Amino acid sequence: MNLFLQSKVPNFWAQPFNSQGIWMGVLGGLLVGILIFLGLMFMPAQFRRPVVAFCTFIGGAYWVLLYIFPAPIDLQKTEMPTGPVESIGKWLTDANPVVVSISGTVTAFMLGLGIFSLLSIHLKRISRRQKDWAYSVILLVSLVSMAFFGYADYISRQGPDGTKLDLQANWGFVNYGRDLLFDGLLQQMDAAMFSVIAFYILSAAYRAFRIRSIEATILLSTALLVILSLMGAVAFVWNDAVKNMANGNDFLMNFQLTEIAGWIRRTFETSSLRGIAFGVGIGALAMGLRIWLSLERTGGGA
Amino acid sequence: MNGQKSLGEVLQSLPKQVLYIILIVFTSVPLFFPVKVPNQPLESSVDLYASLMAVKPGETVLFASDWTNSTRGESLGQFNSVMRILMRHNVNVVLYSTGDAQAPRVAQDAIAKLNEERIAAGQKEYKRWENFVSVGFFSNGEATINGMGTSVRSSFNGKKDFAPGRGLTDVYESPILKGREKVSDFPLLIVVTGSKTSNITVERLSGKVPIAFAVTGVMGPETGNFYQSQQIVGFASGLKGLYDLEGLMEDGVNNPDKSGNIAVKSSKYGPIPGFPGEKNDGQGKRYYPTLHFAVGLLILAVIIGNIGMFLSRAGGRK
Repeated sequence: MNLFLQSKVPNFWAQPFNSQGIWMGVLGGLLVGILIFLGLMFMPAQFRRPVVAFCTFIGGAYWVLLYIFPAPIDLQKTEMPTGPVESIGKWLTDANPVVVSISGTVTAFMLGLGIFSLLSIHLKRISRRQKDWAYSVILLVSLVSMAFFGYADYISRQGPDGTKLDLQANWGFVNYGRDLLFDGLLQQMDAAMFSVIAFYILSAAYRAFRIRSIEATILLSTALLVILSLMGAVAFVWNDAVKNMANGNDFLMNFQLTEIAGWIRRTFETSSLRGIAFGVGIGALAMGLRIWLSLERTGGGA
Repeated sequence: MNGQKSLGEVLQSLPKQVLYIILIVFTSVPLFFPVKVPNQPLESSVDLYASLMAVKPGETVLFASDWTNSTRGESLGQFNSVMRILMRHNVNVVLYSTGDAQAPRVAQDAIAKLNEERIAAGQKEYKRWENFVSVGFFSNGEATINGMGTSVRSSFNGKKDFAPGRGLTDVYESPILKGREKVSDFPLLIVVTGSKTSNITVERLSGKVPIAFAVTGVMGPETGNFYQSQQIVGFASGLKGLYDLEGLMEDGVNNPDKSGNIAVKSSKYGPIPGFPGEKNDGQGKRYYPTLHFAVGLLILAVIIGNIGMFLSRAGGRK
């Protein structure tokens, strides 16, 4: 029996939406999760570390095996795997969606952890009237109101006519509330924060970009050429001038701005970025191995 | 004290407030006087447009919308342009996100606005469930995209979207997902992103499905690597890429206009039509002149600073 085969037949993992079974499952999962957390919390440290290391190793081993183990090629749903290699390969492949779901669920717990952390810090600050406590009030009010209107908007779309709410003409109070908070405030402030960078870039470029050495000169002229190539009007005028001067000479045509910038991109930019990415990749591999084998104490160690 | 400063020192010490005001003026003016800037689209943008137009009408593509309003200056325009092409080309879309929990909502709002634009223009509404489904946000991008490489159906297992008259329904009951189990069953995967989800997608799905990107200008050089190694079929980078796309939507590729002139030539493709007369201009046309002014100001500021430095040095030697 394949425990991971779950896509068609409703089972423990895929029960109808809002059914009693799914709520019982959620409740049961929550209770088991709480018990595991409590167990880990009260477990002596010397026992906790091997448990965490074991879970980390199993989690990592799955992805390593999935990557390196040969997967069955074109095995149909009705076909049985032949031999141990194909069986293991199929088992690993079938387990993938379940592992992905578990992985996603564990990651989603971080949201709860974040909210818990925010609440505990800011409620404490408000109750003790610490410095800037008013900002904490604003933060918590924003958190609650965004959650309320966001969820109310989601609920309002649940019914059979929910798709009608895709058009603004059919909106109600909660939909406008969500729109005001999400699009009108959060998203605009998000964009405003990001756009502030332009001021810093200009100020920093003016103060720091000085031609003090040959290296700086090369860097500045290269940057200038690439930046100018992104300005369509400049590129158009430059290329037109070169075309007129070249008069059909292929060599001179290489001096079109887009050609020069393209050459810089293809030869210097991508190769240096590849080098950096390669180094980062090796570093990530080494760090991944250390975390997988629980050799890294600063991160996942208990 | 300011009167005792040499010209070189003055040029090197412009107050930042002055720079900021000039920047605001420089970047605001073009917003009020939009102009069409002459442009030659990059090869990567032409390839993106060609790959979008190569999808047959009635097909369904995977669409990772991993941007929020923090990068909307570039990403919203790119999303709108790509969606306009797909909508006009009658291509269906499966929206998902691994980049940000806000991203699915932002994408749906953008589609709603495009729909209002279509309805106002007397065009057919691009309907949820029949033309697109939103699978939602996946909190663990690496695992989800890895899972999609094995089975899209399993990765989207249990995901629901709003079906007309039925409420929340399993996305796999939508007609646009019928028979599409593996990632290779989709003709194209498009990622519009302002974050590293493009890297994650290439790392896990390259070779399994044709991939096309629309990324921010900052991510352009990094994405160029994937394009050069042919791991992606095309990409639009930043405002330049967006402006390229809008121009391609108007002119097509190797597509002669009424007077027989071809605006965009490419030796890689045959004639690819555009959508002349429809709403093709958007953020690209609005913001690209602004980019010119901002970049022009940046270059000017660097030149002024350097002239100031050289004048100061020359003065010091006397």
